[in-house]
Amino acid sequence: MQDFVDAVQFIGEHTALLWQLTLDHLALSGAAIGIALVLAIPLGVTLGHVHRGSFAAINVSNVGRALPSLALISIGVAVLGIGFVNVMVALIVLAFPIVLTNAYVAVDGVDQDAVEAARGMGMTGREVLWKVELPLALPLIFAGIRTAVVYVIATATLASVAGAHSLGDVIVDQATYRLPGVLGAAMCVAVLALLAELLFAALQRAVTPRALRLEERGVPVMLGDPPLTNERTAST
Amino acid sequence: MKQGTLRLILALVAALALTTGLAACGGGDDDGGSGSTQAAASQPGKGKPSVTLGTKNFTEQFVLGQLYKQALEAKGFTVALKQNIGSTEIADKALRSGQIDLYPEYIGIFNTAVAGDAKAYPSVDAAFGAGKAYAERHGFTLLPLTPFTDIDALAVLPKYARAHQLESVADLKGVGRFKLGAPPEFRQRETGLVGMARVYGIRDVDFSPLTIGLQYQALDDGKIDVADVFTTDGQLQGGRYVLLRDPKNVFGFQNVTPVVSTRVLQAEGPAFEDTLNAVSRVLTTEAMQRMNAAVAIDKQSPADVAQQFLQANGLV
Amino acid sequence: MAEPVIPDFGRGSSCVRENGTFCWDWVNSHWGDTLRPALVQHVVLTLIAVAVGFAIAFTLALIAYRRGWLTTPVVLVTGLLYTIPSLALFQLLVPFTGLSRTTAEIALVSYTLLILFRNTLAGLAGVPEEVRDAARGMGLTRRQLLWKVELPLAMPAIVAGLRIATVTVISLATVAVFIVNEGLGAPIYAGLQQTFKTELIAAGALCVALALAADALLVLAQRALTPWTRFARSA
Repeated sequence: MQDFVDAVQFIGEHTALLWQLTLDHLALSGAAIGIALVLAIPLGVTLGHVHRGSFAAINVSNVGRALPSLALISIGVAVLGIGFVNVMVALIVLAFPIVLTNAYVAVDGVDQDAVEAARGMGMTGREVLWKVELPLALPLIFAGIRTAVVYVIATATLASVAGAHSLGDVIVDQATYRLPGVLGAAMCVAVLALLAELLFAALQRAVTPRALRLEERGVPVMLGDPPLTNERTAST
Repeated sequence: MKQGTLRLILALVAALALTTGLAACGGGDDDGGSGSTQAAASQPGKGKPSVTLGTKNFTEQFVLGQLYKQALEAKGFTVALKQNIGSTEIADKALRSGQIDLYPEYIGIFNTAVAGDAKAYPSVDAAFGAGKAYAERHGFTLLPLTPFTDIDALAVLPKYARAHQLESVADLKGVGRFKLGAPPEFRQRETGLVGMARVYGIRDVDFSPLTIGLQYQALDDGKIDVADVFTTDGQLQGGRYVLLRDPKNVFGFQNVTPVVSTRVLQAEGPAFEDTLNAVSRVLTTEAMQRMNAAVAIDKQSPADVAQQFLQANGLV
Repeated sequence: MAEPVIPDFGRGSSCVRENGTFCWDWVNSHWGDTLRPALVQHVVLTLIAVAVGFAIAFTLALIAYRRGWLTTPVVLVTGLLYTIPSLALFQLLVPFTGLSRTTAEIALVSYTLLILFRNTLAGLAGVPEEVRDAARGMGLTRRQLLWKVELPLAMPAIVAGLRIATVTVISLATVAVFIVNEGLGAPIYAGLQQTFKTELIAAGALCVALALAADALLVLAQRALTPWTRFARSA
């Protein structure tokens, strides 16, 4: 218990260092997420809109989830060497499938009645996408972004073994910072991840039209994974 | 259905592959040594309580751990190996809290990092004497030193050495700011940046913390200018790197001594200590370098390498 | 003191010595002493974590199904645990349970709880009301309703949760190497220390293969346990 008290003290005494590492951590995570979003969302949305590539789009997420983060970072070191860019690439590879699958399922799964109605009103494919499908798909897309963000922030902690900087620098360096330091940094990382989760949960709720809020159907949805089963369930 | 059939095939293939792998080529038991021929002679370790041996987080420690473990097991002792615990600080903590009973430590590191004693000793025996005194006060025993010493050294690429005319650590002062890659603990150590600043006046260092083992890659890639390496590293064979001399002996003495809990040492009996000492006695610098190289360059497993060495020297 | 005998340890193949991207010969000769033990340890770590996690989460879900107020606090706590990055959680447990398998297992179990709890509950909640009415109409007690009707119908969701949990644990168990030198994280970390590409790729690939195999096996298990969903799928 004393260790945790010391850990809080450590945070107080090393605020500047921890703040700098937090910024490094966020920079790494932010860059990776940003690029992953730019790559995955257009692709996922387009595939979902034309209802093609379902096998790949859904299973890439299974494979992606199976990729052990430490192994991926390590392979990145083997192939690309150490440093910020290489770790960022590994993080992009981890985030991409989550965002892609969610974007695909979100757009693909939009109620076809609404789409039919829109087409019936004379909307072009593009208008249907932007005016009907995307607004309805937004919550699930955001669920994917949220999951990816938390996942990347968590994994960026491991960046230290590959020459990039993050709060993990302190966690793996018990030699210098001793146990209170390690615990203090661990607490900081945990808080960081939680804040990200809460922020994106709020964002997700903000873009969800009331009618679609799943909570109201008595289904607890906390961390937005892709849909509960991988087969399309009729009830959703 | 296409999705389902593909999954089925995938599952069968994967299951088949895993089963084949798990069953076939399964010659090796876990780490070698334990199933070797029964030395029908003395088994003084039989019946003694089990011991937990810990090792730190790099190649040489893995080899040392296997050497001591297999030698003890050949004499009938029961040894649980906790490999790759972490750096000195973690290993020391584990020892004090009883999670491990012994681990191999370097005498210089023991004095500075564990005993908090920053004094530079004139000889390795003096250093050992000081360390032993501290240990005994705290319930540990330091067993006799190995012949080999594995000290920190600063390595650079030959072209960097030529460009800045570097022969010794002192020459680094004239380089200006340079990037140094080392395990994180190097920053705080007397046998690290602290000593370099105090003794050689080298302060303008851009420090890059790296996991042990990554320094060579970083050096090759040009990400760092100078790397902290260990003098018995396998990677140093072949002369690809230039080691800077350390005339003022900042990096000190680093012969290995098994740090054992005194209570455990007494409980295990004199044969325990003798076995460990017998192994330590034959660990010369060359032997250690060759074993490290076998693991680091030829990618043999530490257990295999240790077993071969012990067999060649009649210790198992 | 005589000089020791230093045996010839054998040269690694040129592929290994030059750190080629992938050397089959190394994998073959070190399967038994390095890769297989790590794989077996990894499987054991995973099985224990998923089994214990499922036991806890399933029980909590059943209780929460009856007492709805329990849902939110459980989701909050398990969600909190899930969000804490693995490396941090492992270290936070060390002062309590030391550098042991127990520490690793506690952390791994924590990561399964949210998914398993959420999916079990969602599966139960998703049973159509008409089916429940019909069952009650046939005279089933609440307990019979649960075990004979609701749980079987909740199977797809429960197994989906098991799949996600299992694959997640398989991935996170690699990080356990910072606590205890077991599982596929061990050769990964060792490979990292030498930037030995073959070992990194071999151990990493094994981890992925393990996760895919586990996932596929669970799908098969689900199909076996819920034959009626076969019709729903082909509809």
